[in-house]
Amino acid sequence: MFEKQERTAPGPGAVYPLPLVTEKKRILVADDSKTIRTLLHTALESAGYEVDTAEDGPSAHELGRDGGYDLIILDQLMPGLLGLEVVERWRSESIETPVVMLTGVDDDRTAVESFDLGVVDYVRKPFRITELMARIRMRL
Amino acid sequence: MQERIPQQARPGLRYSLVRTAATEIPQLATLVIFAVNAVLLTVLVSLKAWHRRRMARTVARGEEYTMLLSRHLAYEHCTDPITSEMAEDPAFLDALIDLRNAVSGDEIATMREIVRRHGVIERQVARLEAPFPLGRRLRAAVALAEIGDETSAPVLLRHLDDREPEIRIQCARGLGRIRWTPAIDAIVGRFGIEIPWVRARFSDTLVGFGSKATWPLLAYIRINHRYESRGPALALRTLAQIQDDQAVAPLLEILAEATDLEVEIATIETLGELGSPEATPALESRLGSPQWELRAKSAGALGGIGDPASIPLLVEALRDGNWWVRRSAAAAIARIPGGIDTLYEALDDEDHFAADAAGEALTDAGELVSARRRVEGGVSEDDERLLAHMGTESRG
Repeated sequence: MFEKQERTAPGPGAVYPLPLVTEKKRILVADDSKTIRTLLHTALESAGYEVDTAEDGPSAHELGRDGGYDLIILDQLMPGLLGLEVVERWRSESIETPVVMLTGVDDDRTAVESFDLGVVDYVRKPFRITELMARIRMRL
Repeated sequence: MQERIPQQARPGLRYSLVRTAATEIPQLATLVIFAVNAVLLTVLVSLKAWHRRRMARTVARGEEYTMLLSRHLAYEHCTDPITSEMAEDPAFLDALIDLRNAVSGDEIATMREIVRRHGVIERQVARLEAPFPLGRRLRAAVALAEIGDETSAPVLLRHLDDREPEIRIQCARGLGRIRWTPAIDAIVGRFGIEIPWVRARFSDTLVGFGSKATWPLLAYIRINHRYESRGPALALRTLAQIQDDQAVAPLLEILAEATDLEVEIATIETLGELGSPEATPALESRLGSPQWELRAKSAGALGGIGDPASIPLLVEALRDGNWWVRRSAAAAIARIPGGIDTLYEALDDEDHFAADAAGEALTDAGELVSARRRVEGGVSEDDERLLAHMGTESRG
């Protein structure tokens, strides 16, 4: 039988279209910048996602491993562990959650390494929220 | 009537007073010192606690402002109010700047609209224009450097003459960020009178203007290189970072006219950084200069240009009497296509100084490590020669 479907409601006047989901998708935002975490938390919640945040590499690794997220937005330069190191650990632990790298590292090598590790998207900072949201919608 | 007793007749009283003073004054002093210390300590602890509470409140307000501004970015018609008290708050300004640096595209336009609607720039301009306090003026200059627009450009331009060096730097940075081209001449014009570290930051700003700064910098160098060296030398290094090929021909003219060693050196370095083959003849002629600094810098610049036709002259320079020239020539040869083979040949040069310079350049180029690795396979005579010359053996 079908379970009762819960449709998430956006806040009034949300810019982003309501994702066509049957249940709240869960997203982890891992970034050492509190401003970025707050901004993404607000924007993603307004689009109907359930959001958790992590401020450093080790806590991102732990949450990503145990949290059962649908998508992870990950910064590269974080204290404790670099973003790519976190992804490496997840992959070695068979955590295959889609990862979107959101980073200020403007170098092609890091982008290539990210894709080699199975990262699904790579967005450079500063970023357009509308574009990031569209990329997230495409993945979920 | 009581008879007055002379002092001399009361030795006991005098002794008593002295004894009292000797015992009680130190006790009293200790007590006073203790009390003063206690008061000071209490004041200090209270101040620290007050400061901590104040900082915590500022951080909390900053977080609230970040959330508020994020909502304005996330919702097209967000109705959460931004009051004038908020716009006055330094924590609001910090949140605004942080978010402004995090986003791009449409969100920047939204931030600009918030800044415009709440008169943030006007407030910061007023603070910068005030005679004091310095901290508030400096914060205003930083804010305008981050979020200022064309409306704040005239104020920023005026404050390039500010009495505070850091404010001058921030104003130049702000003008560079909004690409206010009329500021280029003003910034370049201050090269000769600024203190070195401000001048260096001005140079960074000019690099941000790109090729628009090329001609003002060249004009400044042309006018000033006969009278001073530091300003023109920094202007030349700024041109090297801008990487505009249009500068090559005027630089060659400046090199022909220059009489100051520092200016000549900076011109040669800049020509090397620009890497234009047009400069090769002038640089090759400087390999015969009586001044070793010019010979060394010309060799380095020829390496930057990378024309294989320069290799024979650079090989000559390997036999120069000056160590630094030999080293520069060898490093330059290593950078030119086919130069590594030339350096291997130079290992057999009759001039053992030339051979040494070649060996060092090959080592710096990573050839020694490669040679060791290759010799383990026993494949190359060149490798054996380099290892023998550098006095090392393969690690078999």
